[in-house]
Amino acid sequence: MKRYHVIVIGAGPAGLSAAIEAASHGMTVGLFDENARPGGQLFKQIHKFFGSKEHKAKIRGFRIGEELLAEAEKLGVEVHLNSTVMGIYFPMNKITVSNGESTTSYSGNNIILAAGASENAIPFDGWTLPGVMGAGAAQTLMNLHGVQPGKRILMVGSGNVGLVVGFQLIQSGCQLEAIIDAAPKIGGYGVHAAKVARTGVPFLLSHTIVRAEGTESVTGAVIAQVDEYFQPIPGTERHLDVDTILIATGLTPMSKLAEMTGCDMKEMGGKVPVVDQYGMTSIEGLYAAGDVSGIEEASSAMIGGRIAALAAAAKDGYIEQNEFEKSYSDYQSSLEKLRKGMFAKENRGKTLAVTDEGLPISTNLLKHGFLDEEEITSYPGMTSRQGIHPVIECTQNIPCNPCQDACKFGCIQVGADITRLPIADVKSECKNCGMCVAACPGQAIFLVEEDCGDHMAAVTLPYEFRPLPEVGEKGYGLSRRGEEICPATVLNVRLNPVFDHTAILTIQVPKEMAMRARFYRGSRKD
Amino acid sequence: MSVKIADVIIIGSGIVGSSAAYYCRKKGLSVIVLEAEIIGHGGSSRNGGGVRQSGRDARELPLAMYAVKHIWPNLKEELGVDPEYMQKGYLVCGYNEEHKRGIENRIKVAAAAGIEMTLLQGKDIQEVNPYVSEHVTCAGWTPSDGSANPLTATLGFYKRARELGAQYYTHEVVVKLQIVRGSVKRVLTEKGNVYEGSQIIVAAGYEGRNIIKTVGLDVPVYPRLVDVIITEAAAPMFDHMIGGMSGFYGHQTNHGSFVFGNSTGREQTLGCYADKLYSTAYNPAFICNTVGVDIPALKPLKIIRTWSGWIDMCTDGVPVIGEVKDLPGVILDIGSTGHGFCPGPAVGQTLAEIANGEETSVDISKLAYERFDYATKSKKYYA
Amino acid sequence: MRKLDDRNIDLGEIIPELDDHIIICRCEEITKGEIREAVHMGMFTMTEVKRLLRPGMGLCQGQTCSRYVRNIIAKELGVSPLEIEDNVARPPMRPIELQVFGNEVESE
Repeated sequence: MKRYHVIVIGAGPAGLSAAIEAASHGMTVGLFDENARPGGQLFKQIHKFFGSKEHKAKIRGFRIGEELLAEAEKLGVEVHLNSTVMGIYFPMNKITVSNGESTTSYSGNNIILAAGASENAIPFDGWTLPGVMGAGAAQTLMNLHGVQPGKRILMVGSGNVGLVVGFQLIQSGCQLEAIIDAAPKIGGYGVHAAKVARTGVPFLLSHTIVRAEGTESVTGAVIAQVDEYFQPIPGTERHLDVDTILIATGLTPMSKLAEMTGCDMKEMGGKVPVVDQYGMTSIEGLYAAGDVSGIEEASSAMIGGRIAALAAAAKDGYIEQNEFEKSYSDYQSSLEKLRKGMFAKENRGKTLAVTDEGLPISTNLLKHGFLDEEEITSYPGMTSRQGIHPVIECTQNIPCNPCQDACKFGCIQVGADITRLPIADVKSECKNCGMCVAACPGQAIFLVEEDCGDHMAAVTLPYEFRPLPEVGEKGYGLSRRGEEICPATVLNVRLNPVFDHTAILTIQVPKEMAMRARFYRGSRKD
Repeated sequence: MSVKIADVIIIGSGIVGSSAAYYCRKKGLSVIVLEAEIIGHGGSSRNGGGVRQSGRDARELPLAMYAVKHIWPNLKEELGVDPEYMQKGYLVCGYNEEHKRGIENRIKVAAAAGIEMTLLQGKDIQEVNPYVSEHVTCAGWTPSDGSANPLTATLGFYKRARELGAQYYTHEVVVKLQIVRGSVKRVLTEKGNVYEGSQIIVAAGYEGRNIIKTVGLDVPVYPRLVDVIITEAAAPMFDHMIGGMSGFYGHQTNHGSFVFGNSTGREQTLGCYADKLYSTAYNPAFICNTVGVDIPALKPLKIIRTWSGWIDMCTDGVPVIGEVKDLPGVILDIGSTGHGFCPGPAVGQTLAEIANGEETSVDISKLAYERFDYATKSKKYYA
Repeated sequence: MRKLDDRNIDLGEIIPELDDHIIICRCEEITKGEIREAVHMGMFTMTEVKRLLRPGMGLCQGQTCSRYVRNIIAKELGVSPLEIEDNVARPPMRPIELQVFGNEVESE
């Protein structure tokens, strides 16, 4: 039975990063994943990541997966794909692995469990009908298999998964009828919600799904408003004409492998292994990293994987104590940068009234997914001046700063604390290169020329839909809530490889719409 | 310190403990059942579900036969829970001379007790089960054997006993028994609770040994870990119990899934701890191979779970059942050696009869505690 | 003694609820009402409900339904779901054919 210095179970962001870290210290690494492609959730993620450069910000998830895999292979990590770990047996540190044809066993001086999480389901009347599925499943269908999950969709859940997949549904040509959430406010990032809202999708907070209708498959949904105990209020039922209901109500760590080892477990929205600050469980040599030890996201999973592998390397004498402490400290501060801001663990469940800067947090954004007209001038990214200038509609403290790096002319500042709201520097001159518009993972940056003559204004916006509009075509400018508010003419469509598939669309709108028009829709061909 | 009193205190809530509780209640005895974990935690919920008379030591045949004749067929109505008892026979397969001799021995023992068991060879085997491989050259066929669902059978007895007023306490770990004026009368638990009864039934599997030590009793019983596999549901293929002289045993359940057990014998030393019930790394593969050799049609079926359980092995292959001469108050059932499920309810009834001061319906004299008193095997027990 | 360790507590009559018909365990098609009934029959733990009725014994081994079965049992017993133990995890992590599980190949 082959014995590795480190076995890593799961080749997602945490697992790949752990494998890379271990191999970089000279340890032999066996990396096992049940899928045909490594990358875990990364391969379905077509959106650009947040964070900063060290966290691979503004790079699309699947490319991060490709980069990590290449790095792992270069370092000599033995990657076993289509290899399902069937069981894990301590104290022999043994795993049995099946490839669909046969079963083999391996052992490891260290085992790092990075098996990720799976999506939750919620039972309701009719939930067993075809057409009800997890949002993650729909994402796999669309992004890996090019299949629409349905035609008219109801999304249940407004956390980042619901919002991100919601946007991808629109990109795939599906009709997203509504996003509902039993909570009174949107759970995910405001910018993710805004991307969806500006296409016209309504958000219905304090609503729950009561029933899926249909006999052979979903033909409709009944939703209702809920009270403060999340119970449906009689008489508020509404019918939605949908054929697909997607559930995005959270993830649960896939910690069954950990349980099998007998390590200490604790309840945290599902059972998770108890780990110390290095990711080590109560069994020496057994570590857990990434979503399997607690749901966060890919960026923190990557660092968590590295920390666990670093700890294993130090334990087994591959690095000196002072080198270990230095590296650990660096990783830990990188991790802490991600764990700050409005969506940090310590703020979960809290309703914050102001940002770190003392500015009011938009309640309209939290309730409806878009900023109200009155609110837009209070944020440092949204200034008004002559000439073309960036308007950064980023109003929540999230660790993210690719906008700052994108502008070579100093127009956008975030600073050392990457959770600060970006500031539009009124003294710098905007060159209209469009880099900031493309770089913003939240698609929250616009270039606005408030007065380009003839009572017209020009708004440049990020456009991630196909087919691209044609220059000169006439259509409508849509408000932040997706209402057609004015006629619009397409002045320019830029698609530069450096924008990484985000088209930069410039539309001409009436002057008074400069700070209102934020999306474009072509005329319907009647 | 609270003292709870009942006519009978039963330690262990498995098929024997819970059926004893049920029968005691039917006789009007008040009952308290103490369970260290949850109902049916031990072998009762982990075994392969065989309700089998053949292949047994003659000393425990009366119990097995009584259970098959008088108890199993009526349980569904009696308990209000379906134990899924099927009396569709037991086919035990062999493919060499040693296997054939083993089968012939079993036939001899069965015949002596009046159980019909025949030797099948060649095509006669596939007449009974068309899925058996042709490499199986001999088989023993016992039409009166069968199978049941150990989970629902055990929980069914619990449900019924509870309905009739048996008082159950779970997570009550017994640490010692206590003799009061010459009789075993008291049971002390880890939580500091005390239970008192005229009769104390110990039906706690292997843990029973540690319990009875506290009043100066011991039995030659040691634990052995075995594993079981269960598959997804399949279309009905055959409804008799099936096994191999290679050691596997199992059947297709009402649900359609196949359950099979076997053991390599290595489990004691590799990959498991005495106090943890983990599935082992070896047994499942071994079970797959031994089953697959004799019943190749099952090879593409998917296993969805494995589990393990402790067998309390008694050195002479059959349990210790009954009172202890000259130490009144304690009634034992320890060491079922991996085949306690079928006779289980009959053992429960026997223990209830003893507790009630009655003559037992089944002769258990050969299973007495006293048979281990001396090195010399007494003819009383070993003839 | 923990409330749930005394199996003799009187849970009272079972009160039918409007959603008793909803399937909770999809793999084995067990409804909410059946789970509630099992609790009233004396099954105070996940494992006992599972063994009697089969929720959590299907292909997904409780991945989809455990949380809800637990909540239903807890509600019926009037305790927090945290007092109800979770299902035990066992190998294999995914369904695997006998012929694959038994086909042992050495790793080099």
